[in-house]
Order: sequence, then structure tokens, then C-alpha cells
Amino acid sequence: MNTTLTDTSRKPLFPSGPALGLRFLFFTLLSITLLVVDGRSDRFKPLRDWTSWALTPLIWVGNLPRAVSGGLEHFRSREALLAENRALRANQLEQAARLLQLSSLEAENQRIRELLASSTGLKDRVLIAEIFAASQDPYRHQIVLNKGARDGVYRGQAVLDAAGVMGQVVQVNPTTSVVLLITDPNHGIPVEINRTGLQTIALGRGDGQGLSLPYLPGNSDVKVGDVLVSSGLGGRFPAGYPVGEIYELHHTGGENFMEAAAYPRAKLHQGRQALLVWSEHATAADATDAPQVPIDLPANSPAKPKAKP
Amino acid sequence: MSKALIFLFSLALSLLLQILQLPDALSSLRPSWPLLVIAYWTLYEPKMPSLLAAWIVGVCCDTLFNSVLGENALALVLVASIISRLRSLYTLFPLWQAALALAPLWALHAFIIFWIDGITRHSADLSLRWLPVLSTTLIWPLFVGLLEGRRAARTDNLNRMRLP
Repeated sequence: MNTTLTDTSRKPLFPSGPALGLRFLFFTLLSITLLVVDGRSDRFKPLRDWTSWALTPLIWVGNLPRAVSGGLEHFRSREALLAENRALRANQLEQAARLLQLSSLEAENQRIRELLASSTGLKDRVLIAEIFAASQDPYRHQIVLNKGARDGVYRGQAVLDAAGVMGQVVQVNPTTSVVLLITDPNHGIPVEINRTGLQTIALGRGDGQGLSLPYLPGNSDVKVGDVLVSSGLGGRFPAGYPVGEIYELHHTGGENFMEAAAYPRAKLHQGRQALLVWSEHATAADATDAPQVPIDLPANSPAKPKAKP
Repeated sequence: MSKALIFLFSLALSLLLQILQLPDALSSLRPSWPLLVIAYWTLYEPKMPSLLAAWIVGVCCDTLFNSVLGENALALVLVASIISRLRSLYTLFPLWQAALALAPLWALHAFIIFWIDGITRHSADLSLRWLPVLSTTLIWPLFVGLLEGRRAARTDNLNRMRLP
């Protein structure tokens, strides 16, 4: 067989000696320096900002298939639109009726709060953000929003959707921000069980669809179907928003704690919009990093472990 | 000149494929595209600055996934330098044997990511870690066949056979 080497593969069939070792050493040391410094401080944030700015077109193109499929929805049949319109009208009527009730309840709540001399308002300032991209790394449950530091988004800000709490902002870029979802294994949110007021912590399970409540006392009153709402302890999340619903309870004999599993209420992988909320205690909590919210824990709940940031 | 363009384009494309939205079931089977592209250029075009590219692409991956800066960079640089060190060995193998022989390197890549994630307390399901290794191994012969086929078509006109 007539075998001739092309010029590209002729020379370095064998490694080119110390140059390769040196280059390898250089890049490895560079990476380890980045790792150590970035793991401990924010010193390389400009590098991250710059890279993420440079990669914005790539993210935009990566998001195109979804945008195109969204565009195809313009061509839906008239019947479908009419049906949807009818359903929405019915829904709107129902909601309007409930809203009437809500306004009276809100007024009543306000009066009762005044009686209690507590100034916690129910109204929070919100901003609607578009979900720009979902993290494709299966190990991290994150989404990217199209609002950033220019819109006043800050680190630790709570993010909601129409059905419940989605997560919190972990990184703010000039025009985008990264949100850690409540199902991420690194995320913990202080919650209370709506029916009993029991305070506990809901951690992400990391499988993308569940929360786990590992710190329930063995004798606590918890049932399948109980709704979890954010308790507002720690000051990071506004109080009273639904977080999840319990679907399973484990209690191993002899263990002090009972574990519950819950589905998040928010549609974490479905919507396109998210609400950024400015809660009142957030800035103070961020500044001191030690939440000082005086709330009496119910007698049967354990000492509340500190929420993970 | 045009080769350098293809080089840059393939790197950008690998990043794009890595962030492209896939259904959840497929998403965990996604091969590590930057790893494939870097390995390809290291093996078949050793004159390209693959190590530098590995580092830059790694930092881009870290930014895209919001992981600790340097995590993917370290893993990619390590794999790229091992491949360029063992290049003479890998080029002797036929394609399917090379695919098998490269599998430990994909596993090494996954392990480094797993390890650094562990240090920075980012646990994840183990099957999510090893499925990409499997899919990268399976797609390697296809990937190289495709790219080499393009080149073979070009060099056939010159009546030349390439190694490998």
C-alpha cells in the first residue's frame, strides 16, 4: 500500500519533549490557582463576568430552538384559541370572585396585624423576568434570567413563579442573573407546614423534582398532602408563599428524626417567566448574614438549623 | 488559514452543543462535546494549540455551568496533555480500539469533575456522572469518522493516504 505521511502528521508523532511538559504544568497550575482562589473569594468575578458577556451570543443561539418552537405557536388553530379563550374567561371570573374575597381578607389581616403591632406587610415589590436558559449541566439545577444588576437584582434575591417559590439568585451579571432552584442539593429553604405551623428546612434532593425535609421530629404532626409555605425565617425568602407539597413520609424506628419528601409547587421546568421579589428583610439579612428575626418556635419543633446560603 | 477557522468554529460549536436544550431523558446521556473536540484536535492535528484551547474552553464551560472557575479547565487540560503524550500509541490503533483505549480518559475527566464537585460540596447522582462517559465512548468513532471522512475526501484528490 502506498503510504505517505502528510506534512501535518509527519513531525510530532512523538511528543515534543519538555515543551509539552512545561505547557502542561503552566495550564495545570493556572487552573488550580483559579480553583483555589475562586473557591474562597470573589476575586475572579471580573473574569467570569467577561466570559459570560463574551458567551452571550452562544447562549442566545443555544436558546434558538426553543424560541423557534415558541414562534410556531403563532400558527395555532382558531378552535384551540377559542377554547383557550373560554377557559381563561372562566378562570378569570373565578379568580375575580376570589380576589374580592381576598381584598376583604387582606383588610382583615391588616387590622389584626395592627392589633398585634406588627408591621409586616403582605405586599412585596416584584419584577417579571424572562427565563433565558436552563442549565444543561445535570448536576446543577439552575436557570438564567434576563434581568441583572442594571435592573437592581441582588445576590440572594428570591425568585417565584405563579405557583410557588422557585429559588434564589446566586450570581448577578450586568444583564443576566443565575438562579439556584430549590431542588438543587445545595439549596435549603426555611419552611413551615401550613396546617400546623411547624418550622423546618426543605433541602433539594438533586434529582430535579423533589425536596426533602430531613429534620422533622419523630412525633411531629405531618401528613401526606400537607402544604409547605416559606416561613420567612432567615429573611431571604418572603413569608407565606407556597413551596411544596408532601407526598411521602419515612420514619425509621429508633431514629430521632422523621424524613418527608415533597414535590415543589413551582413549575420549575415549564414556565418562561419568573418573578423577582424584593423582600423587606433581605438587604439587612445580606448585610449582616446573621438573620435576626424574632419568632417564637412552636414548642415541639427542634432548634432550627441555619439555612444554607 | 482555513484550518484555524475550522478549529475555532469547532470549539464554539462544541460549547453550543453542550448548552443546547435537550429533553430531560436525553440530557443525562449528552456526550461531553468539548472533550471530544479537544481530543480530536490533539490526536489528529498536533500543531494546533490544543492545550491553550482546552484551558479556554474549560473556563467557558465553568462560566456556562456556573461551577468553580478552573474545574472543567483542569479536567480538559489534563486529558488533552495525556492524549498528546500518548499520541504515538493511539494513532497505531484502529479506530474502534482507539475508542476503547480512550474510554479511561473520559472516565478520568468525569472523575476529576466529580472530585472537585465533591470538594466544593456539589453532590449529584452517580449515574449522571457515568452516563456521559459511556455516550462519549460510543460517539467517538462516529465523530472521528465524520471529521476524517471530510478530510479524506479532500486529500483523495491528491492521491494520498493519511496516517492514521
